[in-house]
Amino acid sequence: MIDVSYLSAAPEMMLVLGAVAVLMVDVFAKPPPRVHGWITAAAYLAAGASIVLQWQRLGAGGGGLSFGGALVLDPWAAAVRAVLLVVAVLGTLCAWEMLAGLGRRMAEGVSLVLVATAGFMLMGASVDLVMVFIALEIGSIALYVLAGIVRSSPAGDEAAMKYFLLGAFASAIFIYGGALAYAGTGATNLFDIERFLNDYLVARPAVILIGMALLVVGMGFKVTAAPFHSWAPDVYQGAPAGVVGFMAAAAKVGGFAALVHILFIGFARYQGAWSDGLAVIAALSVVLGTLLAIGQSDVRRMLAYSGVAHAGFLLTGMTAGAPAADGLLFYLATYSVMLVGAFAAVTAVSGPAGAGSSFDEYRGLGRRSPVAAAVLALTMIAMSGMPLTTGFIGKFQMFASAWDGGYEWLVIVGLAASVAAFFFYLRLVVLMYFRPGEENGRDPDAPLPLPVTIRWVLLFSAAVTLVFGIYPGPLLGLLTRV
Amino acid sequence: MELSDYLPIAVMFILASAFAGVSLVVSYLISYKRPTPEKLEPYECGIVTEAEPIQRFPVKFYLVAILFVIFDVEIVFLFAWASVFGELGWGGVAAVTVFTLMIVETLGYVWKRGALDWNVSRRARYRAAPPAEAAQEMAA
Repeated sequence: MIDVSYLSAAPEMMLVLGAVAVLMVDVFAKPPPRVHGWITAAAYLAAGASIVLQWQRLGAGGGGLSFGGALVLDPWAAAVRAVLLVVAVLGTLCAWEMLAGLGRRMAEGVSLVLVATAGFMLMGASVDLVMVFIALEIGSIALYVLAGIVRSSPAGDEAAMKYFLLGAFASAIFIYGGALAYAGTGATNLFDIERFLNDYLVARPAVILIGMALLVVGMGFKVTAAPFHSWAPDVYQGAPAGVVGFMAAAAKVGGFAALVHILFIGFARYQGAWSDGLAVIAALSVVLGTLLAIGQSDVRRMLAYSGVAHAGFLLTGMTAGAPAADGLLFYLATYSVMLVGAFAAVTAVSGPAGAGSSFDEYRGLGRRSPVAAAVLALTMIAMSGMPLTTGFIGKFQMFASAWDGGYEWLVIVGLAASVAAFFFYLRLVVLMYFRPGEENGRDPDAPLPLPVTIRWVLLFSAAVTLVFGIYPGPLLGLLTRV
Repeated sequence: MELSDYLPIAVMFILASAFAGVSLVVSYLISYKRPTPEKLEPYECGIVTEAEPIQRFPVKFYLVAILFVIFDVEIVFLFAWASVFGELGWGGVAAVTVFTLMIVETLGYVWKRGALDWNVSRRARYRAAPPAEAAQEMAA
């Protein structure tokens, strides 16, 4: 009998049980939307409780491998789950109006959100390349469907199709990388790969290195690192507004969570090789993301390209290897909360299931909806890396790690891009507060309806961005403080 | 293993080919040939074919086919369990029971959801069931 530790997979089990419960209750009882809300809330609570239990187990010196070495319970896995749970709760609140509007297909939408969260959580806990792939597919396939869940929207169909095709392509590259790594080392388990590389001096490591590169490329697609980012703007623009924040944040957290395990554990021996590779991808992402974001006329496309740049900043920190893990976690946690907050404001502007959101719609938002405009402005300022916000501390840690790791040129590229990025982040702020909105032929001061769920997301996101920006202590060094 | 060990396989291969070939050739040579339209049909028995198969099918076939593929692939996992049945013991039985329950749950969902109904009426009834949601969907 293989070693089974139910605790090490408990959060995912709770979420999947919740998804099953939502579907079954829906077909047998045909309940009103709020019943789905209760079940979802119960699933999130149970998952949260399991994460707390995991953290206690870790504090008591427990954890380690289970399920035949496929899953690991370490501080990184537990912390990533906590981040994803927060993202999922915020994303569900943000998407609730859109989901409730799906009518009889609402249960499908809710359960897809739950399953996607479970899949990406599993990515953070997997230490076997096969398991990483399965987790990746669980999460990604749910997201492909979510992108096109509003059937009346042609833009949503286009987004889902593009996301599916490029995502499947990325998955194929990833699994091919896994196959080559297996061919070179004889193992798919990351700890076995690490042991093999430590025990044997590989005379011709070409196969292993190519496999490693393909694994990085496959994950690069998921985290929208350049030059593998081309799907992101179209998908963010076309998918229903409510779920875009969740899609973007969850995929990014899941992708980085897996990449950290793959590179920091499995291929730690080849850090010299992958650091250089990551540095090139990071520089490309930062520069391309920033430059392309400047030319956008749609807020969602702008946020997509800014996400490319942020993937670049995260990769900048990753070049330093294991010491950067704490900073990565901080950046992932705070950036995903910012991102969901920004997309909550986008949802308020373009409607729960809307596609596209041109800059013109944001003219005069400061008067139409002070809360949405204020939070959107705050997240823009935080994303640009202004001090007293979490964006500054996250970016600072990434640059500090890269500098210590000897990638001074990368830090300089990142700093230059950060300065250029102020232009497009602040352009939106200026548009919201200092440009009147009468060109659209509607009342410029007509208040924008702000559903209470979206208001919560906005306020939470703003609070996290400010509080941890001024007082980052509780979130810093979480991994070493178990 | 010597090459000569493969000789029985070669002999078997030759014998099988010869038997099939000789049967076909002999029956072609000595048989009567009185073709009728029915005999030239692809299937001699069963329902009379009305049209060429290259045409448009109802999309319902697609749904049933895709569900079949899903369940078929899921059941394949049971073979993996069956091959190490003894080693896994009761824990394995418990795990497979959970797995099977998940499949049954899926079946229950698609059934109740109306995916297995060939007639559209039932699915239409599901759509009409809660008036508030139907109205919401119309609005969306």
